[in-house]
Amino acid sequence: MSDPTKQIDLLVVDNIQTFVGQFHILEGVTVTVPKGSITVMLGRNGAGKTTTIKSILGLTPPQEGRVVFNGMEIQGKRAFNIANLGIGYVPEHRAIFRSLSVLENLKLAERKKGDFDRHSEFVFGLFPDLKRLYKLPGNHLSGGQQQMLAVARALVPDNKLLLIDEPSEGLAPILIQQMMEAIKALSETTTVLLVEQNFIMASQLAERYTIIDDGKSVKSGLMEDLVHDSELIHHYLGASIKTREELEKAHES
Amino acid sequence: MKAKNKKPLIIIAAVIVTAGVLALLYITAGQQTFIRTALSGLTLGSLFFLVAGGLTLIFGLMDVLNFAHGSMFMLGAYIGWQLYTNPTFIFGLLPQVLAFASGVLITPIIKPYLIRWKVPEYWIKILPKIGYLLSLLLFFVSFIGLDILGLADTAMVAATTATAGDALAEISVQEPLAQYWFRPILIFISGALVAFSTSKPGQKSEFAPKEKMIRKLIIPIALFILAVEATFIRETAPVTILLMNGNWRFIIAIIVSIIFGFAFGAVIEITLIRPLYVRPTFIIIMTLGLSYVIRELVQLLWDPLAYQMVRPPLFAQRGKAASLLEWLQNGNATIDIVGVTIPTYRLFVIALGIIMFIFITILMTKSRLGMIIRAGVQDPQMVEALGINVKAVFTVVFGLGVAMAALGGIGAGPFLPIQPIMGDHYQTQGLITVVIGGMGSYGGAFVGAMILGMARAFGDYFALKYSLSTAIAEASTVIIMIIVLLARPQGLFGKKE
Amino acid sequence: MTEKPITMEPVTKKTTISSLINRERGFLIFIAIMILFPFVMNWITGTGLNEGITKFWQGQFITFFIMAVFAMSYDLLIGYGGILSFGHAASFGGGAYAFALLMKHWAPNFMSQYRILIGSLDITQTIVLIFVFLIVLLVSILIGLLFAATSIRLKGTYFAMLTLAIGQALFILIKATDFHEWTGADEGLHGVPLPVWLNPTQNRLTVYFITLVFLFGSYLLMKRMTNSPTGHVVVANRENEDRMRMIGYNPVSFRTVAFVISSVFAGVAGALYSIWNMSATPNMLSAVTTVDALIMTILGGMGTLIGPIIGAGISQVIQQFFYTWFGARWPLVFGLLFMLIVIFLPYGIVGTWRLKRLDIKEGWHRFVGLFKIQKDQS
Repeated sequence: MSDPTKQIDLLVVDNIQTFVGQFHILEGVTVTVPKGSITVMLGRNGAGKTTTIKSILGLTPPQEGRVVFNGMEIQGKRAFNIANLGIGYVPEHRAIFRSLSVLENLKLAERKKGDFDRHSEFVFGLFPDLKRLYKLPGNHLSGGQQQMLAVARALVPDNKLLLIDEPSEGLAPILIQQMMEAIKALSETTTVLLVEQNFIMASQLAERYTIIDDGKSVKSGLMEDLVHDSELIHHYLGASIKTREELEKAHES
Repeated sequence: MKAKNKKPLIIIAAVIVTAGVLALLYITAGQQTFIRTALSGLTLGSLFFLVAGGLTLIFGLMDVLNFAHGSMFMLGAYIGWQLYTNPTFIFGLLPQVLAFASGVLITPIIKPYLIRWKVPEYWIKILPKIGYLLSLLLFFVSFIGLDILGLADTAMVAATTATAGDALAEISVQEPLAQYWFRPILIFISGALVAFSTSKPGQKSEFAPKEKMIRKLIIPIALFILAVEATFIRETAPVTILLMNGNWRFIIAIIVSIIFGFAFGAVIEITLIRPLYVRPTFIIIMTLGLSYVIRELVQLLWDPLAYQMVRPPLFAQRGKAASLLEWLQNGNATIDIVGVTIPTYRLFVIALGIIMFIFITILMTKSRLGMIIRAGVQDPQMVEALGINVKAVFTVVFGLGVAMAALGGIGAGPFLPIQPIMGDHYQTQGLITVVIGGMGSYGGAFVGAMILGMARAFGDYFALKYSLSTAIAEASTVIIMIIVLLARPQGLFGKKE
Repeated sequence: MTEKPITMEPVTKKTTISSLINRERGFLIFIAIMILFPFVMNWITGTGLNEGITKFWQGQFITFFIMAVFAMSYDLLIGYGGILSFGHAASFGGGAYAFALLMKHWAPNFMSQYRILIGSLDITQTIVLIFVFLIVLLVSILIGLLFAATSIRLKGTYFAMLTLAIGQALFILIKATDFHEWTGADEGLHGVPLPVWLNPTQNRLTVYFITLVFLFGSYLLMKRMTNSPTGHVVVANRENEDRMRMIGYNPVSFRTVAFVISSVFAGVAGALYSIWNMSATPNMLSAVTTVDALIMTILGGMGTLIGPIIGAGISQVIQQFFYTWFGARWPLVFGLLFMLIVIFLPYGIVGTWRLKRLDIKEGWHRFVGLFKIQKDQS
């Protein structure tokens, strides 16, 4: 399955089944994330992408299947233990702490003393806005700034893997561009597993993809192949998403 | 934007209203009565705050309304009173408590090895159960023949007989070491068995790294050494403490109450509250049951009587001090403030409340724990995802809340009769305070407590003046709460959900 | 509002006598036993129906019947409506006080001044009693409405706190010394004058059957109500209020119905309790009384109706026997037991039975099977 050029899979999600309450949400999801790459999970709304991320983190622990991170089985462990192994999480809907200031939000993410001081330059380099606003409470930030803070927060400790859930959701196009550049920049040092509805963004960022449909992973492979496979895209991702070529054509006309 | 502009206006309005009400009371009551009543209101308010502060912290973070808070207030008073009057009871049980704790706390050391232990599937479920049962058995065996009631009696005798001048006369002889030695050992093993069971031997999905083992050893070993130490000083320590200056003894009593409250709260959270977070209504019911049990336990140990704790020397000297300095030098029981005679102990209680408020404010705004609590109030799951053990934070906060209640209890000790129902009234008022201030807001709890204290004090005064019953004063707090809730359902300082 | 109720199950089938007997078999057997009880007791012990040990046990059962209805009315709120109220004792005590106050201060005056006759039959007493009970109903409806009104703006914990406060306010009011000549303040009202046929010391058997009929009627009525379309909406309200609002139901009006009905049952239970004790005391209004109902409901199982009856029975037995078993500190044992039940049997006795019925039956069969096999082998 894994790319021959990358030797280690940092994260292997092997056929997990997850229940939320009484609902069987995941009925066999398999995702492989090679070290040093950006992998994207695609799929319709409600297909189970966010639940997959939460299952990896142990927020909704999977009942069956294995999750192997860095050669260690982590399914069934407590979320904070999993996070402390070096997994950063950027939740959807910009779940920052609104009653805490920007600085406190970042400081809270420290795992060791001094994490923030070591990485502040890198973080503020990616998101210069935050440096200006660092005293403001979280609820005074705009949506885009909140999203940046949510990403920045995951960069404070030393993470081997970042789980990023819908970073472009509800952002203005110009901010999407900035977010993309930031993710590209940070992927040089860490591995990223991304959930993204915006296919253009996903196709430009990711090297690998996994399509999740109705709680099952149905297809995965290299992004280059998917971009040209308009039938697959139509089938699983809905008619609204077009391949890059079609999009380009549409733009030209 | 609108909310921003409104805020200063509201503050100004609140200040004006408060000043107006105070001025009105000042005019109707006259200077002397006003000061006396206001100070007694502040005293009550500060006790209300000590109860409500913990309640609101606990509610804010974990949505738990602790209906046993009043009982914990009462327990704090009892423990402090024991230490102050005759610590034989505390020192008699200390070795076992410490030994058990050190046994339980070896969990992080044995867990990494136990979960890697290859146990047949069938035994994984059975082993912990066997462990718990054995531990329960050893726990009871270690107490067989120990005269706990007799130990508890010592302070009762000291408090009821006229030997107040010679507290040492009431130190009772304890079991000789030759008979006693097996108890701490058995209970240590019992604790270790609990540790064995909670680490779930053979359970692969558990997580326990073998890092920093030496550092993890420090606490259990320290506790074990303390337990051994405590075994030897069971008889001498009470004497040493009773020979101390009364003020120091009182300070030690306060510290012991706080430590006891914290430990007790933490244990309650882990054992009774934690399994019920999924069923919030049941937490309320559980804490109701718990308060019942605590009260009955106290009645079992110390009989359903009311005790009067002797005031520490700093507040006991006859005669009136003219100034603060004179009081601190002579330790007068009363002090003259602008021509009004005020018991000095009230000033101490007020100070206690204010110090605790400042402490909480600093804790919440400046410390990392405060940051975690504020974040956890909003989204505990995300805090967990950042790598913070939220369950442990819950335990700490519950412990802190109970420690505050226990502090309130011992603070009220020399001021109220110490009896099993002493906490009930403060619990009701504390709950009302929390609702008025806004659940989860410690600043709101402080303001609410002061309002309630004042209402009670002035209600009593006016009831007396117009020869009504005290029901008016009692009902005043409830009426304030109903008004606040109907006008502003989230409380004065609460945030809208 | 739409006509069709949205329920998970089809709306109740027609209640014919046979289907009722079928469904409520256990309860009907229980009632039959209770009807026969005084006579059987009389036959066994040989003491008269209205004296000695037979009379004592009737008294025990009267308290049980009344508390069972009170607990059931609480179950309507917490189990079906999902409403945690700490002021339910207000209805119970309110009913009791309404009854006792009128009987003590108004009825004797009225009866000494007026006579109501049908022919030569003096029905003054009956009319007075009926009138007093109507007032009890009115008072409990008003109390129910009061709680319902406060629930419009408040939810969850805040509402629970407010009910505690209202309950507390009434408790303080009834204890206030200002009204001593009317309410008796701390001591409450004692020696409520009752007609001879209703006097529990003289005619206990009558009171026994009145309360038994009350329990029987209340249970069937409540069961019918919870199975009615309105009852289903109340339950649906508990599950998801917003959705109900969107469908077009007004949650407030359905909650009001729940409050008023539950308050009426509690109020009548309170009035009967004050007949049985010939008194009304402030304790009947205190939060402790609410907590008693809560404990009974939890013990038996929330949302089952039959559970609170069992819970009331258990708590009656416990109060009776624990003292002799454990001495003065029996509540300690009871409290520990209660905590164990909350942790290990959160659905109460009936709830756990319903959940585990199949397991238990299977276990029983296996148990019986064990012996069978052994028999075969031997």
